Amino acid sequence: MRLLAGAVAAAAALLSSAAVAGATPNPVTAWYMYGSAASDLKSYAYAHGCDFAQAQPGTSMRVLLLDFGAARKLDSSTWGAVDFSNTRFSNADILSALERAADGYHNCHARGSVDIAYGNSNYHLSGSGMSSTDAWWAGFHQSERSEDLADYQSSKGYTSQTSDAASDMEPSWESPSVTKQLVSGDLAQGWALYYDFGSADGCPQSGSADGACNNGWHVSDVGYVSYAALALPLPEIYYMANANQWTVVRKWWNANAQGTYFFPGITASTGVGLTPAASWNTLNSLNNGLVESELACFGC
Amino acid sequence: MFRLLSVRAVAATLAVVAAGAGGGFALAGSISSPAQKAAALNRLATVATTDSSTAPAPAPASAPQPIPAQMLSADAPMPIAPAILRARNGWLVSDGKTLVAVYAGAAGNDPSVGRVVIVRQNLAAGKQSVRAIDAGSTGELTVTAAPLGRAAEASALTGSLRLRTAGGRLLTLDLGTSRISREPHGTPLP
Repeated sequence: MRLLAGAVAAAAALLSSAAVAGATPNPVTAWYMYGSAASDLKSYAYAHGCDFAQAQPGTSMRVLLLDFGAARKLDSSTWGAVDFSNTRFSNADILSALERAADGYHNCHARGSVDIAYGNSNYHLSGSGMSSTDAWWAGFHQSERSEDLADYQSSKGYTSQTSDAASDMEPSWESPSVTKQLVSGDLAQGWALYYDFGSADGCPQSGSADGACNNGWHVSDVGYVSYAALALPLPEIYYMANANQWTVVRKWWNANAQGTYFFPGITASTGVGLTPAASWNTLNSLNNGLVESELACFGC
Repeated sequence: MFRLLSVRAVAATLAVVAAGAGGGFALAGSISSPAQKAAALNRLATVATTDSSTAPAPAPASAPQPIPAQMLSADAPMPIAPAILRARNGWLVSDGKTLVAVYAGAAGNDPSVGRVVIVRQNLAAGKQSVRAIDAGSTGELTVTAAPLGRAAEASALTGSLRLRTAGGRLLTLDLGTSRISREPHGTPLP
């Protein structure tokens, strides 16, 4: 009986959501993380969590994307990231910051729910000395820390929250073989969805073939890092060309791989060719409604 | 983040949505996504919209500290996508309340166009802005001189940076006005 009641309640909620299907979503802020010390990172993350909750539009789940910079192996047994102030932080430091973001969201929570994502990037992984195996472990530990965050959220009664991982995977920044290891490591650990908020730089803008992209990548590689295993695409759509490229990725996947490719949403920015709303609308118009309503925005 | 396309999708999604759920990928429930994602997608669908605990969490004990003004070399991670900026280098400062980062290079879609991207974070107001400023057909830009160190933490937020074009010409970026001008007389670029 309880199950039936639950199903009815869920149907009502979803039918309500259906009424607004197709509407351009409101953006939520995604943050670049800077800090000269672990205490800074925690303070900033707390503030970002609170700000996100206060500004959250609507009652649906939104992604709070915190981009901690480039994934790094810090020593023989420690992984983490080097942030945008060029400061190296261990995953333990980053987890502490993520927990403060959860605290901040909880303290300022007004409506809806949140998926707090531990974001990093594939920026110059091999250039920093990381091997493919190191990149695999970076993805593994990233997912592990996301699960640690979920444990923290659960222990604190933050039932409006969950946690996942994300990566700004840019073809121009690293080879496909090394970058794919981030996704594979995440899958091996098994907890976190792996949002790809990167680009399909240099990929073809039409067709559905496995064409070449920047830096030795192909459309199939972008498809892999954005939709294989636990990966999901939140692609950067800054210009019309980006929407065209990601449409090719989607078409290639559907013609050659398992499952139907869809976009949970997009990543946008201010100060570029397309406004955040235009970015979402452009991708959605090219993909026949296969774009969900996440709109993470750097600069909003 | 999640919406539905049709009532058919509602029906298809019911199987993975729990009562009181705050969200989930509607499309994931109505189309065939790789099986490896199923557990994680189901997890999203069971998140509530309220917390079971109403006890407030403690705020961080310390406020963010200033970050001394510093140059960012090419090996420092760049947050700006190559589609927007082919970065050469950057510069960063924070007084603990406001952070400004400047990234210089060329436009991602046209290497002949010099571009800087300014990231500003107002931590008190919870705001972040990203602004791209083009210098015209200068080729890629490089930050060559900027305020540095702790003494510049506050003043540098609205100070000036010197930029060099690919052809060796010097320009000035005024952070107060977010405008690029020619040196030595500060003539605004067209």
